[in-house]
Amino acid sequence: MQQFFYDGQLRRYLEQFARMFSGFQVEYGRNIAGKNDTLVRVPVRYGDASRQAQTIIQDNSANNMPSAPLMTFYISDLSFDRDRMQNPTFVSTTSVRQRTYDSDTDTYETSQSNAFTIERYMPAPYKLTIKLDIWTSNTNQKMQIWEQILPLINPSLEVQTSDSYLDWTSLSIVELESTGWTSRSIPMGTEDAIDISTFTFALPIWLTLPAKVKKLGVVERVIASIFDASGDAINAVTNNDLLLGTRQVFTPYGYQVLLIDGKLQALRKQQTVDELNNQLAPPDSPESNLMWPAVVGLYGTLRPGISVIALLQEDGTEVMGTVAYDPLDDRFMLFTPDTDTIPANTLAPINAVINPLTSGPGEGLPPAAVGQRYLLTENIGSFVGPYDSAWAGSAGGRLVAVANDIIEYMGSFWQVVYNSRSDKFPVDPPVPYGEQPVIDPSVQYVTNMTTSIQYKWTGQSWVKSYQGLYPGGQWRLIL
Amino acid sequence: MDSINSSMPRLSLYRPYRSKDYQFIDRTNSEMYTVGGLDIYVHKYLGPILDPEQNNTPGDATLPNYNSTNPLFIEDLLLLENRDRAYDNDVYIMRGVYQQQDIDFDLTQFGLFLNNDTLFITFHYNDMIDTFGRKLMSGDVLEFPNLRDYNPLNTLNPRALPKYYVIQDAAFAGEGFSVTWLPHLWRVKATPMVNAQEYQQIINQPFMPENIWDNGNFYPQGEIVNCGDTYYQASTPVPPGTAIDAINPDTDLPYWTVITNPNTVGDSASTRNKDLAINDALVVQANVDVPYSGYDTTKFYILPTVEGQSAFAGFRADQTTPRVDTTEGGDGTTPQDWGYTLGYMGGDAPTDSTYAPNGLPVTPGVSFPPTPVSGDYCLRLDYFPNRLFRYNGKGWIHISDNIRSELDWGSNNFTQRSSFVNNTYTVPTVDLGNIPSRQSLSKLLEPKADNGDQGGNLPPNPRPPGR
Repeated sequence: MQQFFYDGQLRRYLEQFARMFSGFQVEYGRNIAGKNDTLVRVPVRYGDASRQAQTIIQDNSANNMPSAPLMTFYISDLSFDRDRMQNPTFVSTTSVRQRTYDSDTDTYETSQSNAFTIERYMPAPYKLTIKLDIWTSNTNQKMQIWEQILPLINPSLEVQTSDSYLDWTSLSIVELESTGWTSRSIPMGTEDAIDISTFTFALPIWLTLPAKVKKLGVVERVIASIFDASGDAINAVTNNDLLLGTRQVFTPYGYQVLLIDGKLQALRKQQTVDELNNQLAPPDSPESNLMWPAVVGLYGTLRPGISVIALLQEDGTEVMGTVAYDPLDDRFMLFTPDTDTIPANTLAPINAVINPLTSGPGEGLPPAAVGQRYLLTENIGSFVGPYDSAWAGSAGGRLVAVANDIIEYMGSFWQVVYNSRSDKFPVDPPVPYGEQPVIDPSVQYVTNMTTSIQYKWTGQSWVKSYQGLYPGGQWRLIL
Repeated sequence: MDSINSSMPRLSLYRPYRSKDYQFIDRTNSEMYTVGGLDIYVHKYLGPILDPEQNNTPGDATLPNYNSTNPLFIEDLLLLENRDRAYDNDVYIMRGVYQQQDIDFDLTQFGLFLNNDTLFITFHYNDMIDTFGRKLMSGDVLEFPNLRDYNPLNTLNPRALPKYYVIQDAAFAGEGFSVTWLPHLWRVKATPMVNAQEYQQIINQPFMPENIWDNGNFYPQGEIVNCGDTYYQASTPVPPGTAIDAINPDTDLPYWTVITNPNTVGDSASTRNKDLAINDALVVQANVDVPYSGYDTTKFYILPTVEGQSAFAGFRADQTTPRVDTTEGGDGTTPQDWGYTLGYMGGDAPTDSTYAPNGLPVTPGVSFPPTPVSGDYCLRLDYFPNRLFRYNGKGWIHISDNIRSELDWGSNNFTQRSSFVNNTYTVPTVDLGNIPSRQSLSKLLEPKADNGDQGGNLPPNPRPPGR
């Protein structure tokens, strides 16, 4: 069964035609100077009424009098206009972007919303012939109507059936083809038929198929199954080609974002933080009154769990994650990173970053247990002289490590499992004390299980891998 | 034989004058019409309506300015028609006879007409002259009380719908000639009357409940009565013995309220009001479909761009995703024009104060704001059409004109039809006060005291600047 489609195209032509000839008046009254005459409106209506409708109009009574003057119109012909035919298989493609619509106020906002690709099939040209019959009760009345209408049509008037910007069939003209002064014989003889004059108009119109709006189907697919062919959700959300241009990417002014503990805070361009990205410690959230809804509202509507923020890394890659407003504080957005965009750990996770000189197992740290791993911020121990008993383990071994090393408890002793001074792993034999260390030049990643912060070994120091401050230009919002 | 023939009068019923035979036959005919005919109400045509104001002012020679109402006069000597007809306020009742016939409704584009609904009615000639004062003629209106419709579809009609016919032709009836060769009957050809200019005096007669006010009656609230030429409606229950203009002591208001615009024959018994209502509905829907000329682009978003970057293309699906290091957006950047929606008569509605791309704020006024910021918009109301400017940091750049127009008949619309035809503005003069701006070319600025046919000393309605 073919899908039903009807847009009332011919009906709209008739309505606009009726409007075109509405509002004309004739003058009643015997007044030489033309003052204080009664002006009487000439109604316009469709001429091919059904018998029942006309019976209702006339009150189902033979005594109900038809009224003159009166104009009626009807379609006398609708034929294909071969001369105006163009490429019949042509499809026009255009892309538009809408403003956000506020259904509460029934108004459009200043931000952008959906994007659509519109395909329009070549409409078919037709010539619509409409006859306008004018019934008048005397010649003077007829002259008044003709004189008001005819100067307007020279030889045509524009007619518009919709104000849709993309409706390329909406504009046509009403061209006067012929006129007939009277339907009566002259002189009228013994008959006393009503006097009807006729204008015949031709309208070169277009009848069109419905347009194809591309975005709707795509959006439904994204919402229902937000994965691309490879099962990659983030790519499905951000791939502009895949979404046919429906994604919107912005640089919200020069604002910075600060990622801490899975939350993104928007900061103004001048704002500073206490811990830089090249430091191990996470920064504190600075004072700010910049609210995410205000920032996002400049551009559109945030779709929780679908909208994405991408954080540009030094190597050109991006860490992406879906975002949603923090229900407790508008200054923050909850950031759920896509694990595929986060650098993979090259080292087993650590329990904490510690200063071995100020804390140790059972002394500020949990008692030593197999598999505990710590990233050290200071050197500890030496191969000569006394050693720190706190790090001796049950076997009483000597721990010698330097800042940036990672140590692990092996059951009875602590061992350096990542030697930042050498690319050998494990370290065997250790670099003799006092010799120039060999710095590990490779990039390593490890996650702190206590803070969930991933650290990156740059070859010189440990820094926060992707958490931290992103100045304007190093992050983008994808609504 | 010759003597006999010469002494007897010739045998002939013909008489060149109205003899006793004629009178006998005529009275017999009259009685037959009285017995067998029906009452027909006749609205007598009196002549063209007089000009109530300009009786002595010479006018168009083809439109004589008569000083009395007379059926001898013709209103328009060029077109030879009487359009504005005066009818006698008195209604004459005459007996007539016509042949009743079956009729069909003929559905035309102007409504249902009764097919073959042409009546040929005969009247007794002398009775007609005695009653009517003259012969029935074309233009007289007949009302048939036997054809009243007591049950039209609309049950709210205050009375039965009357049936009117208009006489088209009149002559002696062939069957009305007696053996005296003199006529006794007048035959008229009548067709149904329509609600037209010619019959406005009949059409505009009140059509209200037939309820003559009686001082002795009790009237419930809402009752309508007729007293003299005026209709009244009871605003409260009216006790017996209350004068028509009495004041109700309980409310200090009159018992009766005058009905200033009573329902007319045309209101109830013609299609005019329904035709107008149907027309109004068409215009309303047409206005919904196209409230303004041109195209509504308010729903579309224009991507802001910076100097030197085209804004026409907008953002398309086949374009590269803008990145943070491109020039998309940014503080103070607003669209420099209507972008891809630029075209034939686009933009917001002309009454919309936020007439700017993306609905961004606009400062309307007759001068530019003093301390603009780059990207600000200003709508200059002193331009016609209103003109939109954008400040680019150096100057105000013209973006567009607010040319979308309402399509009704207002004088402020941006259509030539409104500008020339629906032009209600006036022009001040030093001697004639305000004269109309719209004047006929044929009588343009004629050196007459009233400035020709166009009039002067009108209430001021100056044309807005720029129009």
